[in-house]
Amino acid sequence: MQTIIEARNLHKVYRSDGIETPALRGVDLSIGRGEFTAIAGPSGSGKSTLLHLLGGLDHPSEGEVWLEGERLDNKSAVQRARIRLWKIGFVFQAYNLIPVLTALENAAFVLELRGLPSGERTERARAALAELEMAEFAERRPNQLSGGQQQRVAVARALAAEPTVVFADEPTANLDSKTGLALIEYMKRLNREKGLTFVFSTHDPRLLEHVRRIIHLEDGRITREEEVN
Amino acid sequence: MWTLAWKNVWRGRGRSLVTAAAVAAVVALMLVMYGFSGATQNGMFQNLTRTTGHLVVRVKNADEAREFDMSLIRNAASLKQKLAEAVPGADVEEVLEVPALLASEARSRGVVLLGLEPDGHLMQEFGGKYLTAGKLPSGGDNWSADLGKALARALKVDVGQTVYAFAPGTDGLGAAAFAVSGLLDLPESTMEARTAILTLDVAQQLAAPDSASRIVIFLPDLKTLSQESELERVRDRLAPLVPEDYELLTWKEAQPALAAILEMMKPMILIYALLFFILAGLLVVNTVYLSLVERIREFGVIIALGADRWRIMRLVIMESLLLVSSGALVGGAIGGLALWHMSQGFSLPGNLAQQYAEFGLPEVLYASITPAQTAQVFIFTVVTAIASALWPAWLAGRLEPVEAMRHVA
Repeated sequence: MQTIIEARNLHKVYRSDGIETPALRGVDLSIGRGEFTAIAGPSGSGKSTLLHLLGGLDHPSEGEVWLEGERLDNKSAVQRARIRLWKIGFVFQAYNLIPVLTALENAAFVLELRGLPSGERTERARAALAELEMAEFAERRPNQLSGGQQQRVAVARALAAEPTVVFADEPTANLDSKTGLALIEYMKRLNREKGLTFVFSTHDPRLLEHVRRIIHLEDGRITREEEVN
Repeated sequence: MWTLAWKNVWRGRGRSLVTAAAVAAVVALMLVMYGFSGATQNGMFQNLTRTTGHLVVRVKNADEAREFDMSLIRNAASLKQKLAEAVPGADVEEVLEVPALLASEARSRGVVLLGLEPDGHLMQEFGGKYLTAGKLPSGGDNWSADLGKALARALKVDVGQTVYAFAPGTDGLGAAAFAVSGLLDLPESTMEARTAILTLDVAQQLAAPDSASRIVIFLPDLKTLSQESELERVRDRLAPLVPEDYELLTWKEAQPALAAILEMMKPMILIYALLFFILAGLLVVNTVYLSLVERIREFGVIIALGADRWRIMRLVIMESLLLVSSGALVGGAIGGLALWHMSQGFSLPGNLAQQYAEFGLPEVLYASITPAQTAQVFIFTVVTAIASALWPAWLAGRLEPVEAMRHVA
């Protein structure tokens, strides 16, 4: 399997009022194309921090991040934004849809940032919403949708952009069991049918049951990795 | 992004409405102010040019002429006729100013005898505006003159009494007796104390036959200050008709001090405009900044999704532009409507009208605005929108996505 993401000796130390708090202490990992992988661990283990570094949202204190053979950690903020725009999709725990936009406009938002013509981005966003069975809610605003529906729109937003990888930070944490499981099924199907790479940070056992690989993180270190059938 | 910016503007509806209303008020006020200033300037322009004329022909450097006869246009009637034929519809008049000694039985004073055409525009202007007793002067066999009231007082004469004019060393009779036919209440006291008007033919016979100090041209279609270019076109057309020793000047060139008074109004209005727009700008800064603070988390998400700092700054500036433009559109409509109404003619209320009348302004003023002034309001609006958004935009552009997404408003 072709490696698309690689982390080499990643360290992240947060500094506040002269106090240093290490969040990651030398993480090495690689993720291949088409993987459905979870980074698991208790709260404070560094899952979200690792996801942010892999997604180019933050700078590591030390170490390197590579995405499709391109080094990410030494890039400027503007360059990293450009890489995120064209190669990375995000799904957040709190959905983070833009409240004034409809579901369709939210799903098309990344495409708009890319400067695609209106017709093309609407078509792709509609198709993405349809994949997640949200077509009938296209004109609704986030406050007119349930939590599960909002998260499906967030996944559609990532899907419409056809990124190299989707990083999902605790995507099911705010959802009830049924809705959470439904969302997991949607993402599994996208992974299976479209080959979309998903990397989750989670401690949700419902999600962990469905991923094919789990990277366990504790105190900022990878303690073990397991392949799940 | 424009859609998002537009929707964002109206998220804080109350705040945005107040800000847009303030911008609308400033834009409307500016348009009305420019219109009012245009009306005042046009009023002053009409008032000034009623006595100075729009164009003047005179001897080159006439102001510096040492001798009376060096400042005279010889054979003035012929030149006047040429000019009148070249500008059909224009009122072309000769004026002869004669420095003289005017004496009564008791006293004498150095004066300027102003020879005006009896049926001309200037004579009617004097008669209509300043004549307070008697009638306008006559020529023919009954020579008479109208005296400034102050001059009549100084000479201790009244209507019906006789005064004697001496203009020695000239080509005319040099001396003559006149009946005082009327008294003039002139706007300037110095002018009133040393001016007498008589008919042109009488003045010419007294001092300079067939000559004039100046030929004045009134263009009836020229009613506003903004028609400057039209005036210059007429001047350029007439210039070849004027002999080399004479010069053809616009009223501004002939009366630079008066023109300067009108020019003074422009920077004052500009300063007012700047102050108003700065105040409106501060309100816009406040609105845009508060809107940013409330949406830090959202900006974090947009940055995480791939927007770089320039795009974020653009979004903030777009929001400011839309907010200010909304207000400006409403203000432009209100101001435009008010301007249209004022352009049909308006009078100032009570005391203000009296005060303005003392400056010689007409009772009814007509608002007007130039394309340059309209453009100025437009440019100020755009600059206000952009300048007000720069600081909030800069702050938004510097947000770190992870920190911003953790922000709790």
